[in-house]
Amino acid sequence: MDTDFDETYVLLLLADSNLPTGSFVASSGFESYETHGFLSLPSTSNAGKGRAATAGTVAFIQDSLHTYARSALPFASDAHRAVDAFKNLKGEPDIGHDATIKKLLELDELYDTMTLNHVAKRASKAQGVALLTLYTKGFARPSGPSDEDHLSKSLTVLIDRLKLMVRGEETHGHLPMCWGVLTSVLGISLLRAQHLFLFLHARSLLSSAVRLNTIGPYSSQQLLLHSVRPLVEEEVSHNKDMHTGILMDMHHNDADNHPATTWPLGEILAVRHDLQHSRIFNS
Amino acid sequence: MSSTTGESVPVGTGHITCDLHSSTVVFSKLSSSYPLKLLSPRVAEHGVAIVYVMSYGGGLVGGDCMQLVVEVGKECKLLLLSQGSTKVFKTRAGNRASTRFRTSSFQPTPSSLSLQAVTTQSMEVTIAPDSALFLLPDPVTCFRSASYTQVQTFHLAGSASIVLLDWVTSGRRFMDEDWDFLRYYSVNEVFVEGRRVVRDVLLLDNSPYDTQTASESCLSNPTTRSPPRTLKDRLAPYSCYAMLLLYGPQTHGVVTDLQAKYRTISIFKRATPERFLWSLTPVDDGKGTVVRAAGVDTEDVKNWFKEVLRGLEAVVGINEYRKAFL
Repeated sequence: MDTDFDETYVLLLLADSNLPTGSFVASSGFESYETHGFLSLPSTSNAGKGRAATAGTVAFIQDSLHTYARSALPFASDAHRAVDAFKNLKGEPDIGHDATIKKLLELDELYDTMTLNHVAKRASKAQGVALLTLYTKGFARPSGPSDEDHLSKSLTVLIDRLKLMVRGEETHGHLPMCWGVLTSVLGISLLRAQHLFLFLHARSLLSSAVRLNTIGPYSSQQLLLHSVRPLVEEEVSHNKDMHTGILMDMHHNDADNHPATTWPLGEILAVRHDLQHSRIFNS
Repeated sequence: MSSTTGESVPVGTGHITCDLHSSTVVFSKLSSSYPLKLLSPRVAEHGVAIVYVMSYGGGLVGGDCMQLVVEVGKECKLLLLSQGSTKVFKTRAGNRASTRFRTSSFQPTPSSLSLQAVTTQSMEVTIAPDSALFLLPDPVTCFRSASYTQVQTFHLAGSASIVLLDWVTSGRRFMDEDWDFLRYYSVNEVFVEGRRVVRDVLLLDNSPYDTQTASESCLSNPTTRSPPRTLKDRLAPYSCYAMLLLYGPQTHGVVTDLQAKYRTISIFKRATPERFLWSLTPVDDGKGTVVRAAGVDTEDVKNWFKEVLRGLEAVVGINEYRKAFL
């Protein structure tokens, strides 16, 4: 893609915690986990109280990453692959528009039918549409129509169409699909996009832990650099080749590389988020 | 009680077809082959039938492959039950008559077996207009080192209903098994008028990642690395997890009760987890409902479901409902 900043620069932009993506109001079930008394389980509380809360926080991040990498990442990956394929149609990208949109909507719909959790769906939709808005309002080139190449114009139109469909409730606009689209349009490689997707999930869990005061701000940075780093790498390397089945064969149900939930306890606790007597997060 | 074992059908397959003939459910097909066994007791309630889905010896071993096709005819109410939990024994590489192999593409390390005999159960169900399926088996219990795959697909007509319970326990408590099986993979997919409305996929996998690949480049030294989480760590303190799906007009009564019960819950901060937890979420714009539950004791989970689904007595009959959750 003909951009005047390189991939690293875009990565830095996307990793900015001040981006209006709504992730600061999502705890992805962590608040509920704490309220339900899971931070002090015997397996994590062989040390003092503070150590137990830190160990419990890391345990949550491990389990949450494990299931998110297996259930959501393949959708981000396939959306990225679909838009990459569209970009490869350099000659006549307009022909590919409808076919690409169709694939993205199928991905979005499958993610919705696989996410049996109205709290997670709510958060995912809010963050998904925020990403599309971020692109159209923040990342799309401000310049006049003349100095833009055909492909980047076409990609901007693609995202615009998608955003309108989400606004018109023709599709859900879930975060994984939108993430894959955004990162591919911005010219980020699939592997980088996958890595950043899981990194941001882990970092937003740590931010919510700081807000909930289960760990301190320095401890959060320390965990992010030392404990969480290998976890994110592990999950990326294990799940990077997963597919949803939408782009290829769908009806191969015994497939080892299709999305799945790996943490049913996390699902129960995340769904019960709204039942908390008092809460500060939206999920 | 009628039971059929057809010699001509392929190994481990079964076929159930039922239709309504003047308020009596008649099986035009009720056939199965070893190790699958189908039994249908006499039922007094009009329009209701029960089939017990069982296996010879009461368990499945590595490599067993069972395939069941179910067709619920117009206005029939079919209860599919089991007698005791489905026990899945240890996987062993072997070539039984009903063996299927799975190639594990994600742990290609020479040390681990790349060819494993998995126990698989698949069910393909069609539910006709105004009919209903009540799939209320006992839970699946996977023994140490067992590997189990279950794929269930349901095709509903617009006015059809389904109550589907899928649950798994941590193993044999008297053998000190606590989520010690190798792998449990369960897919439940529901289509209504051809449109996919729910795809529930649960993977409980005990094999650790090949950690060599990820960690070498990291700044972290072995002491700051968090130990890998086992399946048991992830699922503690519970030893039973359940998923209940309800869809269609004949489930409205129990769904209304469940929603009312769910709304009364208000959670205050706790020091330790409760012994039993459940959650409720609407699916397909509220046309369906998914309940998940977890319990320290399987018995508590069973009793809870028996109680909250008691409204089904009015749908399938008191005596018939009593045969579930024994």
